[in-house]
Amino acid sequence: MTTTQSQPERVLVIDKDTARSALLEQALKDQGYEVVCRLHDTEGLISRVEQIRPDIIIIELDSPDRDVLEHMATLNSHIPRPVVMFAETGDSQTIQKAIKAGVSAYVVDGMSPDRIQSIMDVAAARFREFQALRSELNDVRSELEDHKQLDQAKRLIMKHQKCTEDKAYSAMRKMAMDQGKSMTQIAKNIISVLEILD
Amino acid sequence: MTLIHSPHLDAPEKTALTLGFLPLMDCAPLVIAKEKGFFSEAGLDVQLSREGSWASIRDKVLLGLLDGAQMLAGIPLASTLGLGSPQVNMITAFSIGLNGNAITLSSDLLAEIDGFGHQPNDTSAAGLKQLINLRRATGRDKITLATVYPYSAHNYLLRFWLSDAGIDPDNDVTLTVVPPPQMAVTMKKGHIDGYCVGEPWNSVAQEMNIGNPIISGYQIWNNCPDKVFAVTENWHNAHPATHQALICALIQASHWLDMPQNSEEALQILLGKAYLGPALSMLPQPQLTQGNRIFHRYTASYPWRSHALWFLEQMQQWGQLKQDVDLTKTACKVYRPDIYRDVAKKMKILHPTIDCKPEGYHDSEWILQGNAGAVTMGSDLFFNGTTFDPNSCR
Repeated sequence: MTTTQSQPERVLVIDKDTARSALLEQALKDQGYEVVCRLHDTEGLISRVEQIRPDIIIIELDSPDRDVLEHMATLNSHIPRPVVMFAETGDSQTIQKAIKAGVSAYVVDGMSPDRIQSIMDVAAARFREFQALRSELNDVRSELEDHKQLDQAKRLIMKHQKCTEDKAYSAMRKMAMDQGKSMTQIAKNIISVLEILD
Repeated sequence: MTLIHSPHLDAPEKTALTLGFLPLMDCAPLVIAKEKGFFSEAGLDVQLSREGSWASIRDKVLLGLLDGAQMLAGIPLASTLGLGSPQVNMITAFSIGLNGNAITLSSDLLAEIDGFGHQPNDTSAAGLKQLINLRRATGRDKITLATVYPYSAHNYLLRFWLSDAGIDPDNDVTLTVVPPPQMAVTMKKGHIDGYCVGEPWNSVAQEMNIGNPIISGYQIWNNCPDKVFAVTENWHNAHPATHQALICALIQASHWLDMPQNSEEALQILLGKAYLGPALSMLPQPQLTQGNRIFHRYTASYPWRSHALWFLEQMQQWGQLKQDVDLTKTACKVYRPDIYRDVAKKMKILHPTIDCKPEGYHDSEWILQGNAGAVTMGSDLFFNGTTFDPNSCR
């Protein structure tokens, strides 16, 4: 099956992460691809793929459903085949970059290596961008969580020792220095001990 | 404590390694080699990377993102032949144990089959054949059975069992692929009627009360091979001493795993969250040796070229492989008992001196003459009484 210039390649995105697949869909549309479907749940995957008949399937590298797609590829030539088949003819660097970003693709025979390269580039960039966003968010979340725990520990000391906030805080700092532990660790210990007494 | 002493091996060319595995019972030799220190004794610093699919394991090994990995035995053969992936030569010098699979059918299907009045201990697919005929005559849907991957022992064992009863696996039933952790749930929802998979996923179906094994992999072929540890040929050529050190550690781990006194500790390690935790927690009493799994004895870790030939013949029989491929040459290229023997010699352990053995002739333990004495071998019968006589491969 070949695609002509006038018809954009029809892409199926399989990704449990709805936010990431939305980001990817937009990027692919901007590049002139038609995203026919985004699947978050892969129940009945085989019949869905047979119905949709996409030119390209973009899927998370580690998805267990890749083995299902490989089974389909051995059965039917109209079903997209693993893009790694093109590694020998095309640019294995692209594939390697994509795989490092956690994305894999299945494409039908006859698609030009240029088009595959461009779609893999788009997907890899979005996957990486999303990864960066997510780890930033996790950092912020854990900072916030640390802050909450310090505050809670401080209040517990103030309550049990009937002391000022400053005193409670410096007591915690001293414990941290003496025990060679982080303030977060000290806060956790204090909470676990003093909560029992509460 | 290990009963096998650590030999003096050449210094590994590369010591920091990443190896891939899938969370199945037979990742045990890799996990134990790491957790019990066999890798570090061999001078290796190994990271284990849990992967999500066989396809991703294969791709990462092909591209050098993993140094080596646990694989279905068919994968290095398929990759070397360019089936379903770019053509990249892969080799294996270590088999990951024997047995461990079963064919499970849904309770509904088994109830229908029971209606035909077969013996309760009938392990053949004769009842299934009758049911298929009946369904066809009454215009009902085809029965759907699942395996785990196109180039898997599960696929070939299931096809072998079906075809022996006169069922054409490509036309009389629908064969599909489902990831092992989703097998039981998919069957519960009624999307599949049965499957061939490794443990613990057959026990899980029993535990959920949705199906029962009709025949075990062991019953289909006593002591049949299943998975291997594979690397690319290029990787091996660049790191021959590292490869030997890995095989040495894996042999020690397999030997350790076969000792009954270690099975409880092994299970505790495998239950770790990084390994098999989520899967095994579904079972009240998971067992290391479920499905007659053997890691070391009966030359369970020896890469028999005759095993490779059996897989290749299956590939050919079921149309995955063109007729003009030289099977013996492929088996010899991919399966490397010579490397295994080299390591075993240095470890001073008993090993076979031959590459191939016939299958289907022994109904109990038998003796094979090894390099320095008798090697005890396991039974090797096929369920239908056939034999497999590979031409000697050198």
